[in-house]
Amino acid sequence: MIVKRLRSPRQDPSAGRFQAPRHALALVTTLALSVVLSSCASHAELDTLKPKGKISREVNNLITPVFVVAGIVLLLIGGATLYMIKRFGVKSYEEGDFPEQVHGNTKLEIGWTIVPALILAVVAVGTVSVLQDQNHYDKKNALSVVVVGQQWWWEYRYYDGGFDPAKDYDPGIDIRVDAVQNHDGKVEKHPVVITPTQLVIPTNREVDLYISSRDVIHSFWIPALNGKRDAVPGRIAPWKIEADGPGVYFGQCTEFCGLSHSRMRMQVVAMDPADYDTWLTQQKAPATAPTAEGQKWLDQQKAITAKSFDPKADPSKLIAAPTASAADRGMVIFRGQCSRCHLAAGIDEDLNNGTANVDGKPQQVSNAAPNLTHFSSRTTYAGGIFNLYNADGTLNQPQLEAWLRNPPKEKDAYAQGNRGMPNLGLSEDQINDLVAFLTGLGQKPTQDIIAKTEVQ
Amino acid sequence: MAIIEQPLAIGTGHVAEVRSPLGVFARPKATRGWRSWITTVDHKKIGIMYGASALVFFLVGGCEALLIRIQLARPDGKLLSAETYNQIYTMHGVTMIFLVAMPMGAAFANYFIPLQIGARDVAFPRLNAFSFWCFILGGLFLNSSWIFGGGADGGWFGYAPNTGVAYSPGHGMDFYTLGLQITGIASLVGAINLITTVLNMRAKGMSLMRMPVLTWMLLVTQFLLLFAIPVITVALFLLMFDRRFGANFFHVEAGADPLLWQHLFWIFGHPEVYVLVLPAFGIVSEIIPTFSRKPIFGYRFMVGSGIAIGFMGWGVWAHHMFVSGIGPLSVTAFSLSTMFIAVPTGVKILNWMATMWGGRLRFEVPMLYAIAVPAMFTIGGLSGVTHSVSPSDTQQTDTYYVVAHFHYVVFGGIIMAFFGGFYFWWPKVFGFKLGSGLGKTNFWLQLIGMNMTFGPMHILGLQGMSRRIDHYSPGFGFAFWNLIVSIGAFVIALSVLMFVINIVRSTMRYRQGLIPNAGPDPWDARSLEWMTASPTPAHNFDEEIEVHGLDEFWFRKYGFDKDHKVVRIATGDEVAHKGDATNVHLPSPSFWPLVAAMGLPILGYAIIFNLFLAIPGGFLVLAGIYGWAMEPADDPDTHHGYGDSDAHGVALVRVGTEEARHD
Repeated sequence: MIVKRLRSPRQDPSAGRFQAPRHALALVTTLALSVVLSSCASHAELDTLKPKGKISREVNNLITPVFVVAGIVLLLIGGATLYMIKRFGVKSYEEGDFPEQVHGNTKLEIGWTIVPALILAVVAVGTVSVLQDQNHYDKKNALSVVVVGQQWWWEYRYYDGGFDPAKDYDPGIDIRVDAVQNHDGKVEKHPVVITPTQLVIPTNREVDLYISSRDVIHSFWIPALNGKRDAVPGRIAPWKIEADGPGVYFGQCTEFCGLSHSRMRMQVVAMDPADYDTWLTQQKAPATAPTAEGQKWLDQQKAITAKSFDPKADPSKLIAAPTASAADRGMVIFRGQCSRCHLAAGIDEDLNNGTANVDGKPQQVSNAAPNLTHFSSRTTYAGGIFNLYNADGTLNQPQLEAWLRNPPKEKDAYAQGNRGMPNLGLSEDQINDLVAFLTGLGQKPTQDIIAKTEVQ
Repeated sequence: MAIIEQPLAIGTGHVAEVRSPLGVFARPKATRGWRSWITTVDHKKIGIMYGASALVFFLVGGCEALLIRIQLARPDGKLLSAETYNQIYTMHGVTMIFLVAMPMGAAFANYFIPLQIGARDVAFPRLNAFSFWCFILGGLFLNSSWIFGGGADGGWFGYAPNTGVAYSPGHGMDFYTLGLQITGIASLVGAINLITTVLNMRAKGMSLMRMPVLTWMLLVTQFLLLFAIPVITVALFLLMFDRRFGANFFHVEAGADPLLWQHLFWIFGHPEVYVLVLPAFGIVSEIIPTFSRKPIFGYRFMVGSGIAIGFMGWGVWAHHMFVSGIGPLSVTAFSLSTMFIAVPTGVKILNWMATMWGGRLRFEVPMLYAIAVPAMFTIGGLSGVTHSVSPSDTQQTDTYYVVAHFHYVVFGGIIMAFFGGFYFWWPKVFGFKLGSGLGKTNFWLQLIGMNMTFGPMHILGLQGMSRRIDHYSPGFGFAFWNLIVSIGAFVIALSVLMFVINIVRSTMRYRQGLIPNAGPDPWDARSLEWMTASPTPAHNFDEEIEVHGLDEFWFRKYGFDKDHKVVRIATGDEVAHKGDATNVHLPSPSFWPLVAAMGLPILGYAIIFNLFLAIPGGFLVLAGIYGWAMEPADDPDTHHGYGDSDAHGVALVRVGTEEARHD
């Protein structure tokens, strides 16, 4: 605390004493310093001032000098204010003590109209230049991924040969359109990998995102890799990210999207190109039943759905649902209950093959819920808010069980309005079986990724 | 040249028999007590009611803010459910913008525009009352949603399609669309009224470039409202039809583009920022010269920059949509326009500083506010410039950095200016100064509190904290600064408590005779509102004022000797009117504006709950308008002495004459 008496030039020395603004200065300085220090020392996962990619670094380099200039202007204005308080303050007015009655100074005023305009013109040049780079897409070499937001999770769709909204139309973005039909005569194009919550990308390669939404407006944001882009239903907005090195980059939906907006998170997992290729190959593979017995039953179920097997004509050949292993029992439950919304390619994709319609409407509307084909290859679920694994790599079974037991309790949802996972009223046995089945879907990621993707 | 008496001295012609239109109400006559308030058409009483209701809503919105801050003080806050939190934060924003900052501006506009231009009242006194009743009833209607199932939950910005009935099935958003349409009527009608007042009712010699900066800024504000309110009304109307009548304006499934809402909302929303801030600029421009003993520096630049802001404010709306996918060309254009709107704002700040430069600065409470406001606004303005760097804005938008930015503008720049205005004009309005000691405590707590609250939000935003989240996880590293922010919010609450205590204490002391009447000119001020008794008498000025220049009142008190030294010619008390004139012709009170306004919320409930309610609601509106139209502007039973003849404006009084003859 500074307790120095300030002097007024015309009054007695104690007049115009005015100490508190100094505190304000101290406060402002503290705040300014804090901003600087926090940018160095914080461990925030979403820090916007720690770019980890080409374009985000460019943005950061653009704004840093602007912050500095703004800080200087603030110090000048604040300093001048404090100086005037000290220099010109009086305690009371004395009769006839008037300063010169200045009404203005046109030159000065024109000056301080033009100078800020010039400073801003410099900022404008930098802005336009970076804006160009930020909106330039290297379609030839980039990996393209379709990003679809919905209440309250993200879906990523990968295509063989990439995706170009000028040529391709992805019907999966539009929930009204049956997933397997062509739209407006355009060439049918199906994603080869559909995965929620965690976006996996190769390092040092531009990744073009084509962002849309199935319901309300969301915003896709990985601060370390670039700014954000809104996911607007009915529109496909281009955006891009790029990561310097392998790692995990956190994000959060940043456009208010209803009840569980704060529980809509995402991660980008950047891998070396070779690792990425391995991941992609794994993800392309469909799931299989846990056991040979289960597979036999599954094949027959598919034949029934495809009407190549008629159980009425040949009831003696009907295979009973497998009961020996928990995972098989889980698969049966999955086909019976979960498949209304969830897809696990190889397990229930046939239900979605345009044949399982009721009154002309597909029962399962093209991944209305997260695709679970490679469930255990991801480390988070339910919109990226729960860890599938503990930090030591073991399964976080209690959380997964709690989620299956009563999802709306774990994550706010309007489940009755088909937004968010409803409570299916599963028994404890069913939950155990489902856990056994789900954790067998896909390849468990490396311990390194498990540790880095841990959310709190 | 307008003359103050002219529009009011309407001859009453032959309508003397029309006493109670529709045979319901006798013409109200009360000049004291609650009846005088609900029937008043006096711009000063209406101004006071605007200010008082805005303060009450300020407390409501402030409590909502405190709930938000308790929830976010620690990670994984459990005080509010996600559902309640979304309603609380939405209603906090809606309340603070539409029910606090806007009506506070309206309070100053109503009270001081007529006084500063030397007029008797506004151009349309009953319309003025109607404005106020629409505002207060609309505000109560909006808040009645808490009783009827919960507040709006789509954010004050109400982005479609999240605010559609599919995603917001409760009635909260219905109250939002209808309530804001009703308060919109208040603003629109008020704008027309005040523009007419300024353009037609200035005292003799009060040319536009002799008007005080406050009146100028309020005039620009009214033009902004005049053009902006229709836009939001259209948007709200469309959303209302989507929600209540199954229209498809924002339904993506039916082919709509949700960006339509964003454009409409922000074409209103950005000028709205200037609607809020220009009155605040005007207030600061009145206080600083008074307590610097200098005229405002660069009057023409001050007025010109205000007008420039008024125009440029229309060309920056899409900077709220840099990440909406409007395309790089639009983003470029709106980046540049946003950068350059900082120029006229900067001019204002530098001119205020130049006004203080070399002055005799006396740190009365209003001056403390007037010094703090430019400093706080500078912080908000500079962070605004960083937003205009659109590539970087893609990082900052929808984070707490933006929350910090607009709270420095709205709280540090606007609300604090209004507080300064309250302290400055309190003696003019109520006859006594608010206590200086409590006032200074109030000020310092408010300044420290707001920097503690909104300063760290910059850091949180840069750390990546999203807006509108009901909780955050400990792993994000937001905990420390959020705690500081929440403590700061309570410091602000304490400062507001000081203000309330100050009002109660000073009022009691004044009534007990412990503090004297402040006299007409307690601050040695410059503009015409100080040239009459305090509190302002109902008739404002005893006689018509002839204006010879800017700062007319000051120049009646002071002159220059041959060395250009200021010498006193007269004291404020000598120059000011005594306020004891009698038989002054004033507009007569009326029930009808209230009746007409009362129908509007009932129509609102009709649209939400049961269309049959539209029958009483519609009846009230129509009856109110009919009674109003049939009622002469002046009560024929009152006699005023001068000005009460047929000398002026005979043509205006024929309404109702036919009726009278048939009786």
